[in-house]
Amino acid sequence: MTTTAIPTATKGAGAATPKRRPRREREGAAWVFLSPWVLGASVLTLLPMAVSLYLSFTDYNLFDPPHWVGLRNYTQMFTEDPRYWRSVVTTVTYVVIAVPLQLALALVVALALKSMKRGKAFYRSAFYAPSLLGASMSIALVWRAVFNDGGTVDNLFGTGGWVNKPGWALLAVALLTVWQFGAPMVIFLAGLQQIPAELYEAAAVDGAGRWRQFLSVTVPMLSPVLFFNLVLQTIQAFQVFTPAFAVSAGKGGPADSTLVYTMYLYDRGFVASHMGYASAMAWVLLLVIGVVTAVLFRTSRSWVFYASEGDR
Amino acid sequence: MPGHRTKGFCASAVALALCALAAGCGGSGESVGGGKVVLRYTWWGNPDRAERTEQAVALFEKQHPNISVQTSFSGYDAYKQKLAVQASGGDAPDVMQLDYRQIDQYASGGVLLDLAKQKAVLRTSEIDPGLLATGRVDGGQYAIPQGRGTETVVYDVKAWRGSGVPLPRAGWTWSRWADSVRELKKRTGKPGATDPGQSEDAFEVWLRGRGKALYTKSGGLGFTAADLTKWWTFTDELRREGVVSPAEQTTQLDGSVENTPLGRGKAVSDTNWDAPSSGYLAIVPTGIALAPMPSGPDGTPGQYFKPSMFLGVSAHTGHAEEAARLVDFLLNDDDAARILGATRGIPVNETIRKETAPLLKDFDRTVADYQASLEGRLKDPPQAPPSGDNALQSTFQRDYDQVSYERMSPREAAENYVTEAKVELRS
Repeated sequence: MTTTAIPTATKGAGAATPKRRPRREREGAAWVFLSPWVLGASVLTLLPMAVSLYLSFTDYNLFDPPHWVGLRNYTQMFTEDPRYWRSVVTTVTYVVIAVPLQLALALVVALALKSMKRGKAFYRSAFYAPSLLGASMSIALVWRAVFNDGGTVDNLFGTGGWVNKPGWALLAVALLTVWQFGAPMVIFLAGLQQIPAELYEAAAVDGAGRWRQFLSVTVPMLSPVLFFNLVLQTIQAFQVFTPAFAVSAGKGGPADSTLVYTMYLYDRGFVASHMGYASAMAWVLLLVIGVVTAVLFRTSRSWVFYASEGDR
Repeated sequence: MPGHRTKGFCASAVALALCALAAGCGGSGESVGGGKVVLRYTWWGNPDRAERTEQAVALFEKQHPNISVQTSFSGYDAYKQKLAVQASGGDAPDVMQLDYRQIDQYASGGVLLDLAKQKAVLRTSEIDPGLLATGRVDGGQYAIPQGRGTETVVYDVKAWRGSGVPLPRAGWTWSRWADSVRELKKRTGKPGATDPGQSEDAFEVWLRGRGKALYTKSGGLGFTAADLTKWWTFTDELRREGVVSPAEQTTQLDGSVENTPLGRGKAVSDTNWDAPSSGYLAIVPTGIALAPMPSGPDGTPGQYFKPSMFLGVSAHTGHAEEAARLVDFLLNDDDAARILGATRGIPVNETIRKETAPLLKDFDRTVADYQASLEGRLKDPPQAPPSGDNALQSTFQRDYDQVSYERMSPREAAENYVTEAKVELRS
């Protein structure tokens, strides 16, 4: 409603300005202001990406000049390397555990915070704090200490230390991510506050209980935000590295149980000095994330509801 | 797209941005802080070694007021990874401590400076020629051995004595060793030793005791999957009996003494290198002692004197002469030797070794006596391991994890390792 008024106003103001600078000159200024970014993107992102694509077709041990091996890295990865597939399975398991858990927790906490009358700001920052801290290695190390044998969790529940049990270590890593649910929570909270109160009132008048309201009002109205969080967290989860690295002291252990994809990539590149192989792995990961994201977008057509669609 | 009028504009903006970047990065080894030459010096080790190294470096800085040395250290595993990343980025520290396993790869990869060209400031005449040669690759002296070390069974003296189990003696075999850890478990309630199955070093000792070696002269694998199966079956049975440390503890080993079962009070003994065993002193309050490694079934010793570590200088250092001076100081200076003691093994400088031997005290004395007791009994060291070994060391530990967590049989894991090793050594 109000949004339609604004573009008209600006358009009018723009048209009313009689003396405009020549188009070229304006573009020049834009390029000058953009130059740090363009330079950064090309030197720090595009160039390394191009180099890495080239390296993925070579045998490069970091020290001697790379030599061309064609598709050998790719064929070796898919046909001769059982540990590669172990890392793929580990990563998919991780994504399937961590993402739904994290989103569910974020949504539950966001719902609780929304209906809260007092102290909202405090709890919001309290729940968001782990996300800020979580990026740091130190928290992951604390996590390791907590779940180690002789650690806090072991002492309280007699678990014998999750990070040293192959069946449990990945869960400990996933919990570290789940605990950092602050970012999706804040986005959920923003989304929840956008839902018009009239919808709930109307639903209540129609006799819908809280659960019914949640399913019929909250979920559809929130679905774009849910979709956004799902895509973002899935992409991030595929690239998980820090928690697995810290919890297993950089080794992906015990018995390769936390050897996630990026960790095996790191191991191939920097421990075993096979940069070509590591580059090939990175490109496969990029492709897989692309495909997964595309699939999510495809499925979104059937379950994501955009309010604007109703206007059409 | 911008027209040609703005091209100059763009170019100058790009130039400006580049200047800003250049200023931000700065060159490594630049002179900063009052015109002083700044050197970076890194090593791996325990806090004891760090304390003594800092003291020696402080003395060096006092003698060379124009040089300032930035030091840093970490545990072996972390150090190895960090150095590999730095070296590949051309940002290796000016002076770095190196392991036998790294020299071949780093020297042939152009990471290290040929120190033979720094003869003017770096004296090597007092180092045994055979020992010095271990740092040579393709005719260049890329690293200088810093000490001599050998492996040892390090044990909690009070616990072992108190148990009544006969103390380890020179010439004991692996089967005698196994009997001892069983007895120790029975009488002390604690596992007798760290599970040695994860350690490539311990496997090498076992293998050499049977007249074989990790690598052939041409850099291929010197043993078969059957040999490794035998070793892992041996250690796995002890683990199943509960007389060596369980998988949960073995998997935590990362080269630091703090994370060993002995260091955490959960086992009576451990296998380690002699000099770094000083680290146990601070954390095993009941005291420790060193015993020879078990030998082969016919008494053939498997352990050997190895250059315990090396010093190398980065090929990209901006201050080759100053870096060489620091290396010379650490190896050949009387006062430095007195401060450093045997923290990196017994000194390599013959004169200093003779002069300081009687002055050694405490644990340095223990290490010196231990080495003296082995003098003349051990076989020659193998040649430096091929570059692939750098990665295989962790592969070995990882494959044994599969055995100790009972996810693979010793035979399956051994076959895996041999396959992986062949790929690694080929490339």
